[in-house]
Amino acid sequence: MTSTAGGVPDEPSSPLRKIAWHWRHDEKRELWIGWWTLVVFYNLYGLLFFVIARTQPPPQPTLAPSEIAQWFDDRRHGLIYGYAIVFIVGGATAIMNATLAYTMRRMSVSRAFAYSYLVIYALATLPGMLIMGVVCTVGAMRPDRDPELMSWLYDFAFLSFEGTMGVFLIGSLVWMVAVLLDRNRVFPRWFAYLNLCNALTEVVVAPAWIFKDGAFAWDGTIAWWINMGVFVTYTTAFLTLLRRMILREDFGTGPLPELARDEAQEPSGSLEAAR
Amino acid sequence: MGRSDGEMILLWTLPVVGVVWLSAFLLFPGFVQPMSPTLSAEEVAAFYRDPENLPRIRYSMILFNWFAVGLIPILALIVLQIRRMAHRTPIFSYAIIACAAGGPTIFLMANLFWLTAAFRPMRDPQLTLMFNDLAWVTFSSQVGFLIAQNVILALAIHLDRQARPVFQRWVAHFNLVVAVLLVPAAFTGAAMTGPIAWDGLLTFWVRNLAIGLWIVVMAVVLRQAIERQRVEGETVAA
Repeated sequence: MTSTAGGVPDEPSSPLRKIAWHWRHDEKRELWIGWWTLVVFYNLYGLLFFVIARTQPPPQPTLAPSEIAQWFDDRRHGLIYGYAIVFIVGGATAIMNATLAYTMRRMSVSRAFAYSYLVIYALATLPGMLIMGVVCTVGAMRPDRDPELMSWLYDFAFLSFEGTMGVFLIGSLVWMVAVLLDRNRVFPRWFAYLNLCNALTEVVVAPAWIFKDGAFAWDGTIAWWINMGVFVTYTTAFLTLLRRMILREDFGTGPLPELARDEAQEPSGSLEAAR
Repeated sequence: MGRSDGEMILLWTLPVVGVVWLSAFLLFPGFVQPMSPTLSAEEVAAFYRDPENLPRIRYSMILFNWFAVGLIPILALIVLQIRRMAHRTPIFSYAIIACAAGGPTIFLMANLFWLTAAFRPMRDPQLTLMFNDLAWVTFSSQVGFLIAQNVILALAIHLDRQARPVFQRWVAHFNLVVAVLLVPAAFTGAAMTGPIAWDGLLTFWVRNLAIGLWIVVMAVVLRQAIERQRVEGETVAA
């Protein structure tokens, strides 16, 4: 593990050899594996949900049963194959959440924060993603099912996905408090307030359980569009901050050192896409 | 009684859990000859209404409900072994903890759908069919946490660079092979007949046998690792 300074060859320039070099010699390889998994999978999930399964942006809650049966029929293969890929790679959330939990472990706060975050988000994978996939697959695999039952599957799919709030609400607040208490300067204070914004989006989505149209419905301006905007900002922010954290990591227990200017500019040194 | 004695007790719960699972598997009339997705709503309703089947469906699923989480202590032992590996961060052990609850929870969901279908078999056959579909699709397609467990374990073993690694290299390769064998089951919604269908060769037999083989092999290598740890602990103490 400990690569002696004398035995390590210089980093090669071709991309594949670079990955191999980092796999062998980079002390931060575990963190880079986590970071690359986060980047690759957030992009992949975007592609699967928006382009292949076409369940995002969400359709209207007001569709009639016959229109819902048609909705399933129109995207039958997208739902089945799109969610099949989600099912295969969905477990990657484990390594993603483990990496985010590590940010809290590197802070000067109690381990309880990292453990809470880890368990809350492990739980979130089910109602936040997998139940919707199962229910949409069941809806898509029998187009001749009674439209009334199709309508129940449709509601269950979208409400379980949009309407599962607590895990993200409490999870973001745990991270927020950890950032505010931390003296190791792992993340800047403004990220704590961004966590609060993310938590608030889970509060305003609650009316989606009550209203079938308008801004608060599951496809509405507030419950969906504004929330998606905050979520994308939040995700981009923590991916950027996490990358900086990894570059700054010294595997100590005290404050993280700041980056020298040229280090911060250098975008490479992180090719650990190995999976 | 040392720490490793407790770990050995946890490990030896596995054969007991294994026997219960195997009995429940044989008891459930929809597994020995897996139910076909091509059955009509009336045929599925008749399966649940059959007075021979109904008690077997209920008792086998109650057994699964009791013992589905039986694998979690074994995963906890794997987490402890990952902690002994020469890593710089606890990310891999965290990730296995994150996976540990996922698999059993998903299986419990399938279990609830089966039990609910069996609770009132005289319900409208369309409803019984829907619960039966939800049970089978949840049971068959949800391989994500298992694949993640395999891949994370393989990565952790590969990066365990010390003179005497906790697990040998072949355990990592074995885990990757099992991960590949689980992949086709995710596509079970795509076919009503053939190897991908939920009663098919790949989705039902290969996947379930791969999971069974994984449990047996991991139990053996875990036992070796714990034994070795125990001997090393005694040497240090002496």
